[in-house]
Amino acid sequence: MIASPALSQAAAARQWFLAREDLGALVEAIRDSGRRIIGPTVREGAIVYDEIHSAADLPAGWRDEQSAGRYRLEHATDQRVFGYTVGPTSWKRFTFPPNLTIASARRANAFGFEQPAPDVPPVAFLGVRACEIAALAIQDRVFLGGQFTDEDFRVRRSAALIVAVQCTTSSSTCFCTSMGTGPEVRGGHDIVLTEIDEGFVIQAGSPDGAAIVAKLPKRPPSHAEAGAAIDHVEAARVQMGEPLPMTGIGERLKLQLDHPRWAQVAERCVECGNCTMACPTCFCTSFIERSDLDGKSSTTERQWDSCFDVAFATVAGGDFRARPRDRYRQWLTHKFSTWWDQFDSSGCVGCGRCITWCPVRIDVREELAAIAPPIAPVIRPVAVEPVAASPGAYSIARLASVRAETEDTTTLTLTDLDPAFLSGRPGQFVMVALPAFPAVPISISRFRANAIDLTIRAVGPTSTALGNLHPGAKVGLRGPLGTFWPMEEAYGRHAVVVAGGVGLSPLHGLVDALAANCDRFESVSLFYGSRTPQDQLFREDLAAWTACKALDVAVTVDRAGPEWKGRVGVVTTLFDMISWDCSKVTAFVVGPERMMQASVQGLISKGVPADRIYVSMERHMECGIGLCGHCQMGGRFVCKDGPVFRLNDLGDTFNREGI
Amino acid sequence: MDDCAAVIAMLNHTWFGADLSPQTQERLARLGEIQDFETDEVILHEGDDANEMGILLSGRLALRTLVPERGPITILSVEPGDIFGWSAVLADTQAQSTVVATESSQALVIDGAKLRAALKEDHALAASLYPRVLKAVARRLRATRLQLLDLFAR
Repeated sequence: MIASPALSQAAAARQWFLAREDLGALVEAIRDSGRRIIGPTVREGAIVYDEIHSAADLPAGWRDEQSAGRYRLEHATDQRVFGYTVGPTSWKRFTFPPNLTIASARRANAFGFEQPAPDVPPVAFLGVRACEIAALAIQDRVFLGGQFTDEDFRVRRSAALIVAVQCTTSSSTCFCTSMGTGPEVRGGHDIVLTEIDEGFVIQAGSPDGAAIVAKLPKRPPSHAEAGAAIDHVEAARVQMGEPLPMTGIGERLKLQLDHPRWAQVAERCVECGNCTMACPTCFCTSFIERSDLDGKSSTTERQWDSCFDVAFATVAGGDFRARPRDRYRQWLTHKFSTWWDQFDSSGCVGCGRCITWCPVRIDVREELAAIAPPIAPVIRPVAVEPVAASPGAYSIARLASVRAETEDTTTLTLTDLDPAFLSGRPGQFVMVALPAFPAVPISISRFRANAIDLTIRAVGPTSTALGNLHPGAKVGLRGPLGTFWPMEEAYGRHAVVVAGGVGLSPLHGLVDALAANCDRFESVSLFYGSRTPQDQLFREDLAAWTACKALDVAVTVDRAGPEWKGRVGVVTTLFDMISWDCSKVTAFVVGPERMMQASVQGLISKGVPADRIYVSMERHMECGIGLCGHCQMGGRFVCKDGPVFRLNDLGDTFNREGI
Repeated sequence: MDDCAAVIAMLNHTWFGADLSPQTQERLARLGEIQDFETDEVILHEGDDANEMGILLSGRLALRTLVPERGPITILSVEPGDIFGWSAVLADTQAQSTVVATESSQALVIDGAKLRAALKEDHALAASLYPRVLKAVARRLRATRLQLLDLFAR
């Protein structure tokens, strides 16, 4: 049957129990209704769909073992008739034959073309699985849902009574739960069977189905039998595991037309077209003309074709999809993306035939995950409420270790912290105080499991005193304060971190976060410049980042002695290395203000949008909460509205002297 | 592939040589010769007559200048695609800095006198080469200006 609104009423039809030994009665009842039966049967080591003359033709006591590139039939320990999943044939073979004469033509006598009227006797498809009903419905939309329709398909489809079987087992290649098509049958059937140990729970889905069910030697199922039918289907669902993340797959694929994986999978693909032949929804065909030797009459045959065929997209001037990668991309993007645009549904039902019957074990699920991985939801963090916010009220932390970075710069690792400090975000700062010294703002350079790092350059009395502390010393902290790096703004883009001198300190935590989430970015790069090699911060971390495949790290110094073998030149010279589309760059820049100005200018001249550049500003801060007025910059307080700003939000205050 | 074709292929991977016309690329390839430099090999000495201009194809060179009491200071590194010894475009000039290979490097090196003669008689070569040399020098000037600004000064 073709799906219709009457189904909801039919779906509510009464359930019955049919004993296994009475399956023959169902076959007979169908045959008595004047229908030929097509159903599963064992042939050449596989379960195929072919004519069924009696229940004995059905594959009782068989199970199948399927995985990528592998199909094996085995004797089962029970006598179930439907204890396997789908085989190499699909029902389209009977609604949409592989070879069909669609017209004949003649020159002799009366010149003309003729189309044969489809003549299809009533038939019953026995053993149609939920995914296969979904496939038939997809072909309904392709052949009958548009302005032009396929009359042969309509006749064949209308002639078929659908006797569905709910799956009670699944193969490793099955993923109907991911495509939302099974394992339970939700409509589109005339009769539905669920096989349990003793027989079948059977239910009519249409008047035609009810007429057949009425003739069966049946009884109402026991409570246990009805429950077992539900449990067995649920077991098949559980066997398939977690559904694949298919949300937005169409759009995700459209964004990945240039993904390198297309070429990699094409290296493996032998372009046999098995996937398209076994697919229950693929509908591409070609027309073949067959002529008599005298050329006076000919026939036109329609044959299944495959978009993997080299000649499929060829015109006189050449092939539009000349490379194997083009053809694989065509197939996969059609199935999961452009099919939606054309037919308002997926072209895949999750039957897994393309996986099982691929001789080189290409698994469409793996390819989708590699080419168009799910886009994790973007959760924009909010700043944690600072502790000891008001000036003079400090939370005490203990100095766990001290590490000299350069001649005048030291990293302090602080522990025994209020948890708020550990929940801070890269880019935020703390106000640090020692008794008898004015508090100073220091960026949090690193977040550890139970500690934070502060990297401090000795430029005044407090910073010098902090640098001279020993482990065990105590310091007062307020914070975390200020804005943080909006890493999420760089998702799906090239994240570029530009650091100058001690400016790497407020960026260290960001680089850690970018590396930890590297699969969310097109690329992650760190450009770091310092005055001399001796002025470089975090040398061990730089070495680790350089070794990390997820990061591209380029380091330069303004000048060096002969012992330095690396790059020499200002940090902006590193921008020569940028080979990407700069409109897709999101940049995070910190350094002395002159260095930031030169860097921003360099990035913008390369094409990086100004609203995709973030900077961290430095100003004199005393209170850290926007009440003392010291750090005012135009209409903003750097401590409260910054220190991290989107460049555009700073307007012309960024590059102006005396602000 | 003959030597000339190999050199042209390498030039195509440099910003300096990539967009030159095939004729100019061939002219350059035939004017120069591929030279390999070992790490720490000195290619040009500061103050010596500028007799050669090179296009770095791979590796890294340091441009060093001698600062009294501080010894040789690297003021710029030359990365693949960039040129060194550009003074050779002008007659009777001296190398502005010492050029040292800081890693195993390869360059297309062109004799200064030959280059100047070719630029004089081949206007197409001159028209495409001079803007590139100027671009390279402008990059140096810009970088030097930023260095003078001392970006890391507070």
